[in-house]
Amino acid sequence: MKFAIRGVGLWTRGLTSYDAFASAAREGVADLADVAFAPPRPSSIPPRERRRAGLLINLAVEVAHQACDHAAVDRSSIASVFASSMGDTAITDYMCRKLAGRDRLLSPAKFTNSVHNAASGYWSISAGCRAPSTFVGGFDASFGLGLLETASQASACGEPVLLVAYDMANEPPLDDVRHVAETFGVALVVDAAAADDSGHLLNGDIRFVAEAAEPPIPLTKGLDALASGNPMGAALALLERCAGRGASDHHALRIPAAAQGCVELRFPRSVE
Amino acid sequence: MSTFCTFVNAYTLTSALGNGLAALRESLRDDRACLDDAGWHDCDVHCYVGRVDLPDEIHVPPARESRINRLVELGLKQDGFDEAVRRATEEFGAARCALALGTSTSGIDRTEAAYRELDGAGRFPSRFRQPTVHNPHAPADFAAERLGLKGPAMTVSAACASSAKVFATAKRWLMQGVADAVVVGGVDSLCLSVIQGFHSLQLVSPEPCRPFAANRSGISLGEAAGFALLTREADAGSPRLLGVGESCDAYHMSSAPDDGAGARLAMERALADAALDVADVEYINLHGTGTRANDDIEGRVCADFQTKNTLASATKGWTGHALGAAGMVEAALCLDALVTGLVPGTRNTVDADAPFDLLLDNVERPIRTALTNSFGFGGSNCTVVFGR
Repeated sequence: MKFAIRGVGLWTRGLTSYDAFASAAREGVADLADVAFAPPRPSSIPPRERRRAGLLINLAVEVAHQACDHAAVDRSSIASVFASSMGDTAITDYMCRKLAGRDRLLSPAKFTNSVHNAASGYWSISAGCRAPSTFVGGFDASFGLGLLETASQASACGEPVLLVAYDMANEPPLDDVRHVAETFGVALVVDAAAADDSGHLLNGDIRFVAEAAEPPIPLTKGLDALASGNPMGAALALLERCAGRGASDHHALRIPAAAQGCVELRFPRSVE
Repeated sequence: MSTFCTFVNAYTLTSALGNGLAALRESLRDDRACLDDAGWHDCDVHCYVGRVDLPDEIHVPPARESRINRLVELGLKQDGFDEAVRRATEEFGAARCALALGTSTSGIDRTEAAYRELDGAGRFPSRFRQPTVHNPHAPADFAAERLGLKGPAMTVSAACASSAKVFATAKRWLMQGVADAVVVGGVDSLCLSVIQGFHSLQLVSPEPCRPFAANRSGISLGEAAGFALLTREADAGSPRLLGVGESCDAYHMSSAPDDGAGARLAMERALADAALDVADVEYINLHGTGTRANDDIEGRVCADFQTKNTLASATKGWTGHALGAAGMVEAALCLDALVTGLVPGTRNTVDADAPFDLLLDNVERPIRTALTNSFGFGGSNCTVVFGR
């Protein structure tokens, strides 16, 4: 399948926009060692919903808006795919602690937000968008599967589709079972059509390959903690390609998309 | 997309109606009461649930131990489904066989249990340290391994629309050549989160749910494991997936707009995808949860999609509301109605309060097309149309 990336949104510790990321990637270094995480507060969420939105919802909606703005697409008509490995572990922890205790009356708002498509719901309300929206999970393969599903939808509908991929840093006891050290959200506007070379950051082919792959390691110094500290770190090498940085002798990227499979992205020419 | 044909090569359902299709048909014909009020663990809400009879001898490996994965194991064994998938992997190669599974609860029942048994340091005891269970992808990951699939294996989790939306993914993957066979399914397990959660919204019925009844009193929760095998070609007579329509309400996280615009859009998109007119639809399986709000709104929309030839019923009085598995439960009921000609009625409902003609009792009638609605939190809507 053909794919083109038309816009990127991004938020993590020390990097709160694609521009900031792209500058770091081009300079070859991101100095994030002592930078604290600053939670995003997207103003587009209507007041009624804003009161109830937690960190992960705000993160997803923020990067989704950034990517649509960057790609200059109409947010009220774009279909979307949300992807996360663990979902909202703050809500999981709240629900399970409450249910293990004596007073089990749950907060209705927190229960409502416990569905894995919560961020997709807040996004569609914020964007006023009735286009299809889904949530996909795939454990370590969540980003690769999200990208495959997004490219597949874009190819089927012939319109750009938004991918929003995110995970939050876990707290114990869930963190003992599945260590996620960093909070990171990334959004891509993906288009199947790349008829010309204008208007996109990157284009190429995507296909599923039934061979195991490790998440690609970013070249930019200082991104190691993020790459290994969040399941969506698998996106970083692709974001570097978007920013025009990639190993000149590698025209393909493999990103995990199953326990024993990956998506292979092939680019038409060297980007450096 | 409308000219692209997708066949349902095999399907199965394990739910409160019974384990496998033979038990399902028998329960329908015998008009068996399938919801029980035996409670759920030490849940403090009095309610009826649609429980799966999960035998003790159904085992999964220790790393996978959880009710959700045991439901997967039980469900895959019914109706020779795992054998049908094995034949597909032999025919196409395991790398060309994919999986798209809908779930909302995933392994949360197991996570709840782990939190009840935290050790002195506030940590999970060692037998609960199961990374593949405590995340949204638990049953899909296990099902793909259990079936030996080597293609993409993806979870769709869009609340109560989850396992309706997997049909859209499967159709695209087959159309685009991502895979040659796609296992779709829906699995959810009963758990305290959903019973106490819907209780917090005051939506749990103290009696067996009565969809579209004048005296309806809320939902009865349920659990299920259902699967279907989709391919581009199949034996003559196999039912077909004709179309899927998806939409968002863009209105509110847990309630739909009065005009049901999002639901209507999903139904319209599904018919357009199937290249069918309203008059072509012979059976509608409604979302029909038994809540005041859903049945009011869905009823008004449904009235515009019913002609004199359309049967319409809501089946959660049989199965309970299996949430993330509900789309697959009702897809299986539609497929079985197409195959057997036995169209299920709206169990537990006596006095209907609906602006359309609601089928109360089962009826034997050959049908050629069946449509099912699934609507979920987050304003997620999905309609699937099958035919033969």
